Amino acid sequence: MNLTSEEVNEIALESRLLLTEQELAGAVKYINSFLDALQCFKELDLKDVEPFSFAEAIECPLREDKVIPFPDNEAILHESEHVDGSYFKVPRIMEE
Amino acid sequence: MELYELNLWMLMEGLKAGKFSASEIFTSCKKRIDQCEGEIHALITRTDDTPQSAKEGVLSGIPTIIKDNLCTKGIRTTAASRILGNWRPPYDATAWTRLKDAGAVLMGKANMDEFAMGNTCGNSAFGPTRNPNDTSLVPGGSSGGSAAAVSAGYVPFSLGSDTGGSIRQPASYCGVYGLKPTYGMVSRYGLISYGSSLDQIGPFARTVRDLQIVMSVISGHDKMDSSSFRDKPHDFTHNEKPSIKGKKVAVVKEFSGFTLDAPIADAMKRVQKVLADEGAIITEVSLPVVSKYAVACYYALAMSEAHTNLERYDGVRLGYTVKDARGIKEMFERVRSYGFGAEVKARIIAGTCLTEPTRCEEYYVAATKVRTLIAQEFTRAFGETDYILQPVTPSMPGRVGESDDDAMKGYEADLYTLPVNLAGLPGLSFFTGYAGGLPVGLQLIGPRWSDSELLDAGIILENHLGGPRIANGGVK
Repeated sequence: MNLTSEEVNEIALESRLLLTEQELAGAVKYINSFLDALQCFKELDLKDVEPFSFAEAIECPLREDKVIPFPDNEAILHESEHVDGSYFKVPRIMEE
Repeated sequence: MELYELNLWMLMEGLKAGKFSASEIFTSCKKRIDQCEGEIHALITRTDDTPQSAKEGVLSGIPTIIKDNLCTKGIRTTAASRILGNWRPPYDATAWTRLKDAGAVLMGKANMDEFAMGNTCGNSAFGPTRNPNDTSLVPGGSSGGSAAAVSAGYVPFSLGSDTGGSIRQPASYCGVYGLKPTYGMVSRYGLISYGSSLDQIGPFARTVRDLQIVMSVISGHDKMDSSSFRDKPHDFTHNEKPSIKGKKVAVVKEFSGFTLDAPIADAMKRVQKVLADEGAIITEVSLPVVSKYAVACYYALAMSEAHTNLERYDGVRLGYTVKDARGIKEMFERVRSYGFGAEVKARIIAGTCLTEPTRCEEYYVAATKVRTLIAQEFTRAFGETDYILQPVTPSMPGRVGESDDDAMKGYEADLYTLPVNLAGLPGLSFFTGYAGGLPVGLQLIGPRWSDSELLDAGIILENHLGGPRIANGGVK
């Protein structure tokens, strides 16, 4: 079933993307052609097939839950324009 | 002969014998970059490392270039996207740390398709890279800048990343060798993620021996990447005369009906003869699920992973931002809408769509199951053969700026490369010769962890087919 412009726009907004009219038209065409291509999965019997997780068994790489200080916090903070002291500061989250 | 024309192993031997100095190599490569870069545009950022600052090691004083999705501490890293702005990462990617510790000198960060999404190197916020063999043509992508830089003689080797063919396809278009290693062979720490279960870092060079040298430096377990493996073979020692006698090399039965450009079809025949003359047994394997479902499976998974990986770009901690947003939603929307290019936006939206609760089972989960079938099919095939020989692409490179309205058609061109990523296999893109002045590459695939055997087979092929020459690089 093809997605409408409204549905694609809604998905774009979920991804925090505002599309121009032209971008939206392109996205509708793109997604519908992509979903059509994925219909081929229905030709396969996947009922008893396990989802792929990794190419081979690997020991679960758990490590101790311990805080390791990053050697250069200043270099991280320096890259942001939204810093207050040693914190990132973001605009208000609750909308008016 | 100029020093920039020498291959990596020749430079290493010359340095050791005192025939020339690291400064002379550096000057020669720098001059070559100055000569070609205006036309080729292989680099996003030129760096100011010097041989004097290089560490002592096997690559001491050897110039290199790495793709701009590999983090370099204090050096702008963009992934060819506006959204990263002038970000200077606070840490190095492990692959770069290992090269740097071995003495490599960074000449620049290579152009690429934005976030590695594309196969032309035309989806870059910094403009396209051009093929050094013919500047009207694309170099391939997404690691087009890394491939073009080695082809044009900027540096003897470079690093790229390969999520669905992004090392092998530009290697083929530019006329160099490129290895997509087994998934888990090279640490992904510091690689800006696209599809984390598919991404792998690997080298480009003008000889297979040079790939062996680079792999011996960058491969191996890293505690910072939980998908990198311990206790796996990492011996890339060069063998002058490897043998392929008695080994089976298969072509894929289902691919035989697909159309190839004439130079690629000719190369397939020629290479089979070379291998047979060397004592290999040419055979056939059947990969019905791969041939019919791999493209859809790959793009469903790659886009789903891209959508989650790219959620983190919101303008708060790094990169492009706005300072006058009235709330966090507005800030995210403005940053992401301006920061991402068209292809990236399309893939994020597609990935969001496929992973929504109402569609997840039908598309994303189905794709993970198809991936299982694909991996199983390769395991069965490698029970019957040692290697698989196939094209890298069905066609020769297209023109810069040409685009196809039908995105899926463009994606189908990746059929020969992306199954390798789905199954976590190694794939070698190798040079076979020139047709009409353009290089023609093919691909040899092996089972997981057969990377060093693949490179041995590559040595045999290089010995018989000859290696590439330095591309003209657009010099008039």
